[in-house]
Amino acid sequence: MIISRKLGQFLLPLLATGAILAAGCAKDPAGDASMAPPAAPTPAVAAVPETAPVPAPVFQEEKVMEPAATAAPATALQSAETQLAALTRIHFDYDQYVLSTTARDTLAANATILKALPTVKVKIEGHCDERGSDQYNIALGERRAQAALNYLVSLGVNAGQLSTVSFGEEMPLDPGHGEAAWAQNRRAEFKPVK
Amino acid sequence: MILRHFLIFFVLTLCIAAEARSQVEISAPGRQLLPLAVTRILPLAGTARPELVNDFDATLRADLDLAGLFFPIPIAAYPDDAGQIGLTSTQIDFLSWQKLGAKALIKGGYTESGGELVVEARLYDPSGRRLLNGRRYRGKVADIRRMAHAFADQVLLSLTGTEGPFNSRIACVSSRSGRKELYLLDVDGQGLERLTEHGAIILNPDFSPQGKEIIFTSYRYGKPDLFRKEIYTGREIAVSARPGINISARYRPDGGEIALTLSHEGNSEIYLVGTDGSMRRRLTDNWGIDVDPTWSPGGDRLAFVSDRLGNPHLFTLDLASGAVGQLTVAGKYNATPAWSPLGDRIAFTRLEEKKFEIYTIRPDGSDERRLTDGPGSKEHPRWSSDGRFLVFSSNQDGESALYLMRADGSGLRRVTPPGLAASQPAWSGRW
Repeated sequence: MIISRKLGQFLLPLLATGAILAAGCAKDPAGDASMAPPAAPTPAVAAVPETAPVPAPVFQEEKVMEPAATAAPATALQSAETQLAALTRIHFDYDQYVLSTTARDTLAANATILKALPTVKVKIEGHCDERGSDQYNIALGERRAQAALNYLVSLGVNAGQLSTVSFGEEMPLDPGHGEAAWAQNRRAEFKPVK
Repeated sequence: MILRHFLIFFVLTLCIAAEARSQVEISAPGRQLLPLAVTRILPLAGTARPELVNDFDATLRADLDLAGLFFPIPIAAYPDDAGQIGLTSTQIDFLSWQKLGAKALIKGGYTESGGELVVEARLYDPSGRRLLNGRRYRGKVADIRRMAHAFADQVLLSLTGTEGPFNSRIACVSSRSGRKELYLLDVDGQGLERLTEHGAIILNPDFSPQGKEIIFTSYRYGKPDLFRKEIYTGREIAVSARPGINISARYRPDGGEIALTLSHEGNSEIYLVGTDGSMRRRLTDNWGIDVDPTWSPGGDRLAFVSDRLGNPHLFTLDLASGAVGQLTVAGKYNATPAWSPLGDRIAFTRLEEKKFEIYTIRPDGSDERRLTDGPGSKEHPRWSSDGRFLVFSSNQDGESALYLMRADGSGLRRVTPPGLAASQPAWSGRW
């Protein structure tokens, strides 16, 4: 999974085909290419009755989509893993658990993924930066995780899919001690429960 | 100021203890230190073991130095009596010690045979020509330092009326193994033992006031749960693994119940549970984060951290009435309160310019004092059982380590060896 602190800002439009959804980000163009064809097929299909040779690309495109839609169970599992990998962490301001606009956008994309995979369970981890007391930060991390959980549920995600755990300041993403590291470490992460 | 209180107490105690017979007194209260002679213990029988004597002498001197009550008389000035084995009042040349100005004298002897060690240690009042305290310690050669700690505690008992805290243990969290595990060590940083192998994250230990038990938070089962461990049997159980967080647990001073932060009802609140984890009652009820309770010595009040007014501040709670009062008003981030066993002050940390410093404040919110300064963050202050000293963790030397200081912030010294990466100390009672 490729990580970026700006992930939330670069979510591409989601493409829905049946139950298949994909969320990608700008830092992950290769992964997006197979899942998100650039051209919409509908106008080309409309042109077919008149002249036969032209729609070849459209036909090809459908071939790409069909195997995914009628995938065997093993492939579906793999697909679910790919989608869960697209669940994106969110970040918080210092000593805050309020969701920023960016965080809410990210959570909306995460909610779309989770709603498409109703049998998958996800644990939301709340984390803090190293400043502050350890015990206070565990409580703060729990609030961050709960804030993310509550927002996902408000977007229609089944609460039964979600649980929370706080690690306080114990598991920094960036071991550094500056503002940049701290901003990275104040976060909630979404980890599929195996 | 605290030192001055000690000294006044010290003088009074001495005068009372010595009654009319004793010549021991301090001419004026304040910063005057009691002249003390600490002679090296001498072999009573068998072969001399100078390395053992060195350990005993260094340990005893370090403890008495930390006490901050004594002026060590220069060894070069000691009279010939320092080398005389005589350990009874009739055998000691008190006059020569009096001439030197010694107000207290420590003499001792030892016998080592096949790894078995006996140490005799005596505290004398040269002016009164009498024994103030005599102790005989029997054990292994490896116990020599702990014997010195135990005698230092007795010296403080005899001269101040309150036993010292040196024969005790400090528990701490160390990431030396790659994971945060619990360790146990002596107050001089020696005798390190690892207590846990959870392979997870362990935090925030607290000693049972009775018996050698310790409670702590562990992520052994994937989330922060409260565990209790018997140190010598190794027996260990999860006493509170309620949904959410089970953190910042503190034994009530009588050991009967535990205050801790739980979130199983949705918000982090402070609760009272039995030592088996059984629910007694909820103590706080507020939308804010309530953590880090610390008990008053009487067990009737708690100080704790809450962000109910926006930033983390200290509050006190009266358990009988439920009344909550704000303790700190200064600073934007106050944390980790620790109520002195003497009851008169509460130590805590305040975030200032991106690092924590240690403060104390009276339980009524008055007389706030800053104890630490200089580089690095200082966190997790905890009191010795006699309220004389504080242990805390700091990264002031570039790595996390434990430090001791007196209750007034003086006498700072590092406890833990390089490489231990120690933090979050707890100080046991008398071991």
